[in-house]
Amino acid sequence: MGRRRRLAGAVAEAGAGALPKVITALSQSLPAGPSPEIFRRAKFDRPEAAPALWQLLFRLLSPQSADGTSASPALEAQACWVKAALRSQGYPRLVLAQLPEDGSRGSRELLLALSWLLARGPLPERLLAQAHVQLGDEMPVCECEALASPGPRAPHVEAEGPVDIRCVQWLMGRLRFRWRCLITSQQEQCALLSKIHLYTRGCHSDQRLGHLSVAETEMLRDPEGGQQVRAGARVLAPGWACTPGPGPRSFWNDVRPGRGGADGGRSCAQLCSAFQLLRRLERENVGLEAALEWRRGELVFWRWMDTVLGACPPEAPAAATQPTVLPRIAGRGLGQLELAARELRALQEELCEASERRRAAWAVGGQGRGPQWRSARQALQKAVEQELAALRRAWEQDRGPARPHGPHRLVRREDEAPGGQYLRAAEVIQALRNQEACLEAALHRLQGQCRQELARLAGALPGLIWILPPGR
Amino acid sequence: MLPSGCSRRLVAELQGALDDCAERQLQLEQSLRVSRRLLRAWEPAGILAPEPPLGPETKEEDPSPACTPSPQDLKELELLTQALEKAVRVRKVISKAGERDKAPSLKSGSFATSPGMTASAPTRAPGQAGSCTSEAKPTRGIHQTTVPAKGHPERRLLSAGNRARVGVEARATRPGPGLRDQHVGPSAAPQALEAFTLKEKGRLLQLPAAFRKAASQNSRLWAQLRSAQPRDSTDAAAAAKTQFLQKMQTAVSFGPTGASGGRGEGRVQGRFQDWHHPSLPPPPNSCIAPTDWTQEYRCLLTLEGLQAVTGQCLHRLQELHAALAEQPVGPCPMERPSRTPPPCGGAADPFWSPQLLLYSSTQELQTLAALRLRVAMLDQQVHLEKVLPSAVGRTPP
Repeated sequence: MGRRRRLAGAVAEAGAGALPKVITALSQSLPAGPSPEIFRRAKFDRPEAAPALWQLLFRLLSPQSADGTSASPALEAQACWVKAALRSQGYPRLVLAQLPEDGSRGSRELLLALSWLLARGPLPERLLAQAHVQLGDEMPVCECEALASPGPRAPHVEAEGPVDIRCVQWLMGRLRFRWRCLITSQQEQCALLSKIHLYTRGCHSDQRLGHLSVAETEMLRDPEGGQQVRAGARVLAPGWACTPGPGPRSFWNDVRPGRGGADGGRSCAQLCSAFQLLRRLERENVGLEAALEWRRGELVFWRWMDTVLGACPPEAPAAATQPTVLPRIAGRGLGQLELAARELRALQEELCEASERRRAAWAVGGQGRGPQWRSARQALQKAVEQELAALRRAWEQDRGPARPHGPHRLVRREDEAPGGQYLRAAEVIQALRNQEACLEAALHRLQGQCRQELARLAGALPGLIWILPPGR
Repeated sequence: MLPSGCSRRLVAELQGALDDCAERQLQLEQSLRVSRRLLRAWEPAGILAPEPPLGPETKEEDPSPACTPSPQDLKELELLTQALEKAVRVRKVISKAGERDKAPSLKSGSFATSPGMTASAPTRAPGQAGSCTSEAKPTRGIHQTTVPAKGHPERRLLSAGNRARVGVEARATRPGPGLRDQHVGPSAAPQALEAFTLKEKGRLLQLPAAFRKAASQNSRLWAQLRSAQPRDSTDAAAAAKTQFLQKMQTAVSFGPTGASGGRGEGRVQGRFQDWHHPSLPPPPNSCIAPTDWTQEYRCLLTLEGLQAVTGQCLHRLQELHAALAEQPVGPCPMERPSRTPPPCGGAADPFWSPQLLLYSSTQELQTLAALRLRVAMLDQQVHLEKVLPSAVGRTPP
């Protein structure tokens, strides 16, 4: 009976029932998702729907370090922040900027902003991935998380006045020592991890994995006790996230706050027992199912959003009053910009010199000149142009070859893995060796430049003797 | 002495690097603690902790403290303990996939500090204890059968065990320390069992059924979600989304510079990371000596082309810098909202889903980890090396 109706039926008929379901699914897949009623009210720009949407946008846009359990800022602050965030991402509509910051109005605009974010990328999936409960011994295969760490840290006590170079040398020595300690500890941890994997061979129900991870073993050893858990997908190298993590965005507000988690600032540590872990896993599954349902039915949502956009009053064309919006770059970013500029200039000089040398050599040399070789030269020119264009395209697309990215679960096995996506340690080692070689070359080059500069300075002062420190 | 202005930056960078290292070390040490503990003989420390207050479990009634246990009771308790332990041993031999919790549960008996603790944990099957229920005054069997089956068998048993123990303890300790001496004896009995070590008995471990189910569902859902990613060119939803975005854009926009500003900055950052992580062709100086004029010419053209590209990049960078320099600082007190796009092919994989990294030996894993650290260290060194020239007052080229 129902099926016939659906088949016969009108998109409107199906739409009427499907829309609330799709919106519910969307809400369930997002943290702090509001009810479908809020969405409906937002379409008609009702003021009571605004606060919930401000809060939702704040949760979606705030950086990963914002912990769900920490106190969230006041509504005004959230609203201000959301506006700045959307602006810096390039949100096209002016109306948002004009909304009052007390969070009382603008629900329709907020709804449009939410849809804009949803249309640009797979937002629910990304958020779920960030909050993913990690059961395995995760190891990141790239350093991008470590590099993209939140920029300005708490400012240290700045050195008063001029700095003694011996202080700098001492700091550098300390750094070298700490790295050495780190490497030793790391080696030990690898050995232990390997043993644990070996001893628990054959225990895991999942055939692909074959053995337990430290987190799982720890859970079996001590189901009641609290395990230190860490941020979801955002693992800080090189410490293993060997314990399960709910992620910084705790969708699940009934998680017990951490009992004396000794973790430092960046990762949020919470202690959870096996039971809580299970609960989290189950909730993540609910979120995943909701996301799947959202994907299946999202067309209905987009059709509805067209009507919402249609319901908006037309805006006046952009006046010159609104200044050109450019993203604000934090202090560290600005410094990076300077460094990038400096490097580019250095590179340009090098290239300039090298090309001049070659041009001179070419002019002197005997072969290849003359009209008979012109077509050959033109062919070469074209080939080189194409190569360079391809290179630029690769850069424009934010890096051509896809490098392995993100944390991977460590699995010990000697034979071929059955199915699924996996990476072999040997490949990663190779990639890392290449990177190492490049970095070493860059370092030597820089040090050479530094030495040359020093030699130049030394040469300018007659009678001066430079005594270099021993070692390096 | 170094000039104060620039050298402060160097010192700040060094301090930052030191803090970074310290944080990593801390995390590593935590992980090491956990791993070391796992490889030692397992102690049941956690099991004796008071049970967390969880909804469905607290339905159980506590043993009535009305009667104080007589020496008779305690004697029977002791016998029961031994009987149960024997049963466990037999069962262990029979069953291949033994469950782990009985071992530390038994072990808890040997580590008992109070008389009541000699009533060691119940074994898996309520039926087994049921046969001895008539003897056992502490209503352990009843505890087991009344616990609602939530589908967490180990959890239930363990907590039942807890309650039984705690209950018995509560009753047994009430008579006072006088009885304590009588029960030092039985506590020696369970020590005949070996401690549980991962090395010997690791293969017997098994994750709880509910957990396994949830975990497999989790990986299945992630796989489905991954494959449900819309193919941009053909999907109706994707088309609707693009259309929506376009409509949003045309309904009043800031103009191209605003919208692309964010991405422009991202590109610059990305390119900077490119140089930072060289995936570029090797620097031009390393061009091998050309063997014939074609290679020579090619080299020359490439160099000039790269020079032009670099010039353009520099120009764009300067534009961006100039525009930012005149940008007023926003009033919001919080940190910069949007993150730079991840340099590792972020566009290719917008969200992460579980992937595996296979290794075949300890040696390999250690090499991998050491290399990662080495790359991180070199990266840091290169960065510091770049900051250094400004600190010693060298004019940038």
